[in-house]
Amino acid sequence: MSERNEGISRRSFVQTLGMGAAAGALQGHAEARLTGQDEGGTGIVGPGPRPITLRINGNDVRLTIEPATTLLDTLRVHAGMTGSKEICDRGSCGGCSVLVNGALTASCMMLACDAEGAEITTVEGLGTEEALDPVQEAFIRHDALQCGYCTPGLVVAARALLDATPRPSLDEIKQGLSGNICRCGTYTNIFNAVLEASGQAPVTDAEVNRG
Amino acid sequence: MADRTMPSRSPLPNRPMNDGIAMSDDANRLDGVAKVTGSAKYGRDVMPKNGVFVSFIRCPWGHAQARSIDEEAASAVAGVLEVEITGREGRYHGEPIGHIAAESLAALRRARSALNIEWDPEDADTEIGSPEASHDDDPDGADHVLEAVYTTPVQTHSSLETHGTSIDHMGDRAIIYASTQGTFSAREGMDRVLGMPQSRFKVVCEFVGGGFGSKLNGAGKEGLTAGRIAAKYGRPAWLFCDRAEEHLDTGNRPSSRTHVRIGYRDDGTIVGGSVRTWGGVGVAGGGGGVVMPSNRYDLGRIRKQHADVRFNGGGPRAFRAPGHPQGAFAEELMIDEVATATGRDPLELRMKLDREDERRSMYELGARLIGWKRRQPTGTQASVLRRGFGIGSTSWNRFPARADAEVVIHPDASVEVRTGSQDIGTGQRTAMAIVVARQLGVPLDVVHVSIGDSSLPAGPASGGSVTATNTSLAMLEAADNLKETFLERIAAQLGVVAGALKIREGDIMQDDRRMMTWQEACAALGSAVSGRGSRSRRSDRQYSGSGHSMGVQFVDLEVDSETGVIHLNRIVAIQSCGRVICRKTAESQIIGGVIQGLSFALFEDKLLDRNTGAMVNPNLEFYRIAGPADMPKIEPVLWEGNQTGIRPLGEPPTIPTAGAIACAVFNAVGSPVRDLPLRPDRVLDAIEGGRS
Repeated sequence: MSERNEGISRRSFVQTLGMGAAAGALQGHAEARLTGQDEGGTGIVGPGPRPITLRINGNDVRLTIEPATTLLDTLRVHAGMTGSKEICDRGSCGGCSVLVNGALTASCMMLACDAEGAEITTVEGLGTEEALDPVQEAFIRHDALQCGYCTPGLVVAARALLDATPRPSLDEIKQGLSGNICRCGTYTNIFNAVLEASGQAPVTDAEVNRG
Repeated sequence: MADRTMPSRSPLPNRPMNDGIAMSDDANRLDGVAKVTGSAKYGRDVMPKNGVFVSFIRCPWGHAQARSIDEEAASAVAGVLEVEITGREGRYHGEPIGHIAAESLAALRRARSALNIEWDPEDADTEIGSPEASHDDDPDGADHVLEAVYTTPVQTHSSLETHGTSIDHMGDRAIIYASTQGTFSAREGMDRVLGMPQSRFKVVCEFVGGGFGSKLNGAGKEGLTAGRIAAKYGRPAWLFCDRAEEHLDTGNRPSSRTHVRIGYRDDGTIVGGSVRTWGGVGVAGGGGGVVMPSNRYDLGRIRKQHADVRFNGGGPRAFRAPGHPQGAFAEELMIDEVATATGRDPLELRMKLDREDERRSMYELGARLIGWKRRQPTGTQASVLRRGFGIGSTSWNRFPARADAEVVIHPDASVEVRTGSQDIGTGQRTAMAIVVARQLGVPLDVVHVSIGDSSLPAGPASGGSVTATNTSLAMLEAADNLKETFLERIAAQLGVVAGALKIREGDIMQDDRRMMTWQEACAALGSAVSGRGSRSRRSDRQYSGSGHSMGVQFVDLEVDSETGVIHLNRIVAIQSCGRVICRKTAESQIIGGVIQGLSFALFEDKLLDRNTGAMVNPNLEFYRIAGPADMPKIEPVLWEGNQTGIRPLGEPPTIPTAGAIACAVFNAVGSPVRDLPLRPDRVLDAIEGGRS
């Protein structure tokens, strides 16, 4: 089934079709390609629902989805894993960040069928209440969250950054997290959390006026 | 409903209420674990089995009539339940003209496309324009007159969780999972669309993914439409906006135009004049007010006039300190223009103009922290990189609101704090737990918070920075009432006089002798004990004190005079809020206010195409919000001084930032940029053209 993995990335559609048309056109384009061809022998499937097996956080998860479904919708709607958030739905906010074979990926920009066979790690797989990832612990300690809606994506992005760069400088942290947006405004606490999670001293804490 | 709790690292200090020290320096946000692991369920995350998905059909132009709509084709799409067109005219990009209900999100998308609507666009007005200002004669006693126009763009709230509601309809009852700032107001109208009395449904809102004022309208049209569909099909229903809809139709900070004609003397004294403001309210009937002057400064006698201007855009909603940041931008920059024209230092001039002695002390601290003495006089730098320093000030009143509270001690030794009002990310659940733990005298980690549920004691909608200030008074009273009942029952068990017992870090003490541990005492109760409290004039007197919050902010930045790009170095934000309940979440409120303010100053702009009236950037790549790489070092300073009571904190820190940044840019380049956002092209125009 190698055909399955070569083609339909949502990002390539966006590049081909232009930003404005992309969201609506994705569906039609995928279907046109899929329905126009013989289902037997080509490995082409769809447009109707088909079974799919995804390896999510170390578990095989069997689902039935339309091939044009994004990895994000598959996680949230079909697998009931709502830690990954849909915020912009076009790869510009980082809210849906997951790791695909260890690589930081916007799950709204990838079709689920292209993730078959890959190791997918979502925020739910990073740590649990009893055994938090050091990044998660540091986020809590530095209050690097407010409403919390961007937090799962930022936690995953910070984990990916530290996997690639175990002791990032402040500038490397800023660059490494630049795919993520937080609206409440928690960035500076996030920097401190990532510094601490990588064994470095946080930026000098705020001066406390006890006058 | 119980929150999972990261253990606090130390028991809460048992200090009197108003000694000017934070109740907790090191407590972590109680819902931190749920938020970092992704287990926190927001309304948008609730997708009940067998649910119906709903979305609005919207106008894509600034003003247009739908000539033809293929309802049949859309209805025929597999999985579509209904297509309803309620109107043919769209008066702004994003105005709903109907809705679709379907079995899946994919079917909704297909149906939207199958509608194949043909639109006849009409002329659209897209901005305030340049209304004529008729000013009075020059003010008496002025040596000079400054006439200037300051403008700010439409800023969208851009809540990351979009507006919407998920309704779990269970036949004769329902749970409304609304993304709202008003758990109780979200019931309004829902009874009518559900055909159910309010006693048969409740609103649950444990987590809200941002609101900033835009989610104060109860469940909104999103929730009411979802409710109608849920009732019609007797099934759960889910309606949430997508990102474009969120920009287009869920409110905004209205654009503003401020025309000042103000007189001043050679010594910088401002003797008054006239201020005319306009607010761009889209198709709404009002809501465009601009708070200028602010009343923080003595500006002499000001004649103020305001008018709202309508155009083809979505209407405004309250946005964190409505009317203030745009007014403060004009006011602060105007003061710096007067200071520069008279050769005065803007810090020195503010010390003279400011009406509050306490804020004068804040200016002194801020000037020291930012290194104000390194500031060079405005217009004296010729280097490529030019350094600038700026100041802004802020204030916020404490508003009363109805709030009830209940605190329960359970026999298993856990303490339940019950408040129906929501935590929109401010740290409300954490703050209330700390208030109760401290007032009862128990460790924080035995306290659990039940919050965001209309079946719990009523509390205010989170607008105007009223939630913590008012609910904490109800909590203090509830905790005191509970302590009295609890100790009476324990005293009866021990056979001592109730007045002789105290609770210290959970231990039941008589004089300095431990009579029982917390666990022993609670187990001895046999059943739960509860206490209630309310925010009232009495509890206000007993636990609080009058007074408002205030603050100052100082900015240090650099401007690249060849590219016009602004690089922020540091922002010092000094803010009072009375007694600090939880230091970490309080500092986060300040940092967040500053970041939203700098984003407003530098980047954000809802752009409507002047030909079509369509928003050209309804997304998060071209509607720019400040990101990690844009961050300066931000230093929040919680000013405690001798302030008493629990005062508002949510809104004031976002008021002065844009003004302070604009002043710093003026200081760096020598000419004011009077239009937000402070785009590089505008900065270059200011450098090249003198006056922008």
